[in-house]
Amino acid sequence: MKKKLLNMVAISLMLVLAAGTVFGAGTKEAEKETTVNMFQLKVEIKDAIDEYAATYSAATPGVTVKVETLGGGADYGGALKAKAQAGQMPDIFVIEGRGGYDIWKDYIADLSDQSWVADTDLAFKVDGKVYGFPVAIEGYGLAYNADILAKAGIDPAKLTTRAAYEQAFKTLEAKKAELGIDAPVAMAASVAGGMWWVAAQHNLACYWGGGLDFNDTSIIDMALQGKLDDERFLQYAKYLQLLFKYADQKILLNGSYDDQVGAFAQGKTAFLHQGNWVDPNLKQLGVTFPIGYAPHAFLDTEQTGLYLFAPSWYCVNEKSPNAEAAKAFLTAMATTAEGHDYMVNKAGMIPAFKSVKLQPAGQLSQALMAANAKGGNYGVFFGMLPDGAGQNVFGPIFDLFAQNQNNLNQFIADMKKAVANLPNM
Amino acid sequence: MQELSGERTPMKKNSAVNIVFLAPCVLTFIMIIIIPFFFGLYYSVTDWNGVSDDVAFVGLKNFRGLASSPDFIYSFLITIAYTLINIVFINIVSFILSLIVTSKIRRRNFYRSGFFVPYLIGGIVLGYIWQFILNNILVKIGTTYSIAFLETSFLSMPNTVIWTMAVVNTWQYAGYIMLIFVAAIQSIPSSLMEAANVDGANYFHRVIHILIPMMANAFTISIFLTLTTSFKQFDMNMTLTNGGPATRFMDAPVKASQLLAMNIFNTATANRMAEAQAKAVVLFIALLIVSLIQVSVNKKKEVEM
Repeated sequence: MKKKLLNMVAISLMLVLAAGTVFGAGTKEAEKETTVNMFQLKVEIKDAIDEYAATYSAATPGVTVKVETLGGGADYGGALKAKAQAGQMPDIFVIEGRGGYDIWKDYIADLSDQSWVADTDLAFKVDGKVYGFPVAIEGYGLAYNADILAKAGIDPAKLTTRAAYEQAFKTLEAKKAELGIDAPVAMAASVAGGMWWVAAQHNLACYWGGGLDFNDTSIIDMALQGKLDDERFLQYAKYLQLLFKYADQKILLNGSYDDQVGAFAQGKTAFLHQGNWVDPNLKQLGVTFPIGYAPHAFLDTEQTGLYLFAPSWYCVNEKSPNAEAAKAFLTAMATTAEGHDYMVNKAGMIPAFKSVKLQPAGQLSQALMAANAKGGNYGVFFGMLPDGAGQNVFGPIFDLFAQNQNNLNQFIADMKKAVANLPNM
Repeated sequence: MQELSGERTPMKKNSAVNIVFLAPCVLTFIMIIIIPFFFGLYYSVTDWNGVSDDVAFVGLKNFRGLASSPDFIYSFLITIAYTLINIVFINIVSFILSLIVTSKIRRRNFYRSGFFVPYLIGGIVLGYIWQFILNNILVKIGTTYSIAFLETSFLSMPNTVIWTMAVVNTWQYAGYIMLIFVAAIQSIPSSLMEAANVDGANYFHRVIHILIPMMANAFTISIFLTLTTSFKQFDMNMTLTNGGPATRFMDAPVKASQLLAMNIFNTATANRMAEAQAKAVVLFIALLIVSLIQVSVNKKKEVEM
């Protein structure tokens, strides 16, 4: 008898378990009010956006905004696909450029009629229609340690041509011991360190947009047709070679993000090839020296602008019944004082909206904001490339050039071949 | 259980219980292995991008592209090379380790668990630990004491990176294979070894002529395990080298340590799902063929008691 009882218990337990797995996923609570689900990938703003969503939900009767964050190297695109397949597509999600748009275009709502559109230059547009809400402005130039440059007698305001950079790097190289630096530049290009994007994405963006009008995409359009501008690319390649030659070789060939930013923060290099997203890292590392941005001036002619872009855009899921509530949430973020306070003070971002008057705390962010106000900056267009072009195609080419820095012609030939293949990707 | 309770239950009554106990496993297996497998085969002949519902049949286009893509061919070849290195390294090292821990050496139980511990560290963590050792500690030692070959990291040289990965993988995996060998050695009757000893065979003769033939089935298993795990290596590859550094192959820059699994992953994350799926099918077929050959060859060498 006892055994039978045990059997019964075991069987019923198994049944319950099986039923749980089969039906558990399907249960849904009855909800009267609208819940806007947002799925975003900036880990560094998680707390800030959670707090803002909670405040917004409390102030807006009938609407609750829930934010889920996945990022920091995790596969956001894969997770979003899994959600879409599971029928749980979020109401607000993130794309990072043209590649993401092409994948998700069936889901992306037209936002052209939103009130914030007139207030920004960086909305995501296809064929004149607005599809993406710019999350923030990010940007970069060549960040410099003003103390070291002053000691070496270099005026950062004069770094506006490749020749000026070459002179400055030579001076720094000669005074290395005196200044206590390991190398003039902290630059990273290695596939191994996961840093291909610094060289093959951000630095290469100088070639795509540098010295042109902010919205001038002629060079990258040409590349998407499979052609390089030979003369312009030669100047760019020489500038890249210069950066490589005067970079800390260990960081260049094998360093991680922490190695690169750490070296600059400890005053071991005079320049850092990174954008304003390093502000929180520099603060964490206790940096007190003054920092500014010099332009990536790769041309023979003068260049004074920085590179500004929206790294990602919020898109609204057109197929969701909550699309209007989602649009209202984004509009509130862009147009209300609370939204501005969240973007600038809580999340530490530079908003892409001209009506925002608050100042971010980081030195590099301030430099970018000043440059943005001044104008004459350059657009960043790597988001227009096919998915995987940076990581799988350009990445190894730049890594190989970093290993063989004297082989300029090989680098140019490799890039020519890779660009010629872009239309097939 | 049956003998203890004294009851006799015919087999038929038990079959209901069997089904109930098996059902969750079988159901899960079908849901997460069998069905996705056939979906995968299907997607490899389409242009699916991972999201879109309109999936078009493109025949073998995805497969044809692979034959002319330098990065895939390179990944395929380097994976075979890595697997061969690994099979040799791991089996030799773990065989030696198993001889050590089955000898009369003092603290052999301590060594047994010590050699096994690396296997318990996950591949992701292990990759980062060894990256730090190779990129920072060894290089620091090299520059401090001016030892030329240590001054550049082994991970930054295209020619050494595969070997370095194999060494790290051996460090991780040898303890596990060692356990299989230890079990095999212990199952050999000691009378055989003693008889050989009496007949005047020295230690090497005993190992080569008795131990190795008697444990041939253990070699079948261990070679199979090392072969399949090396072929599918991903986690340690990702964290230790991330595929880098770059090297030149078929006149195109490729990633020197990007094994096949990582190549598939990188293709998939670039939203080329169907192409990645085609690569995965190639990996599956290659692995199937190689391991079937290996097992059938090894089986012939096994000795029955």
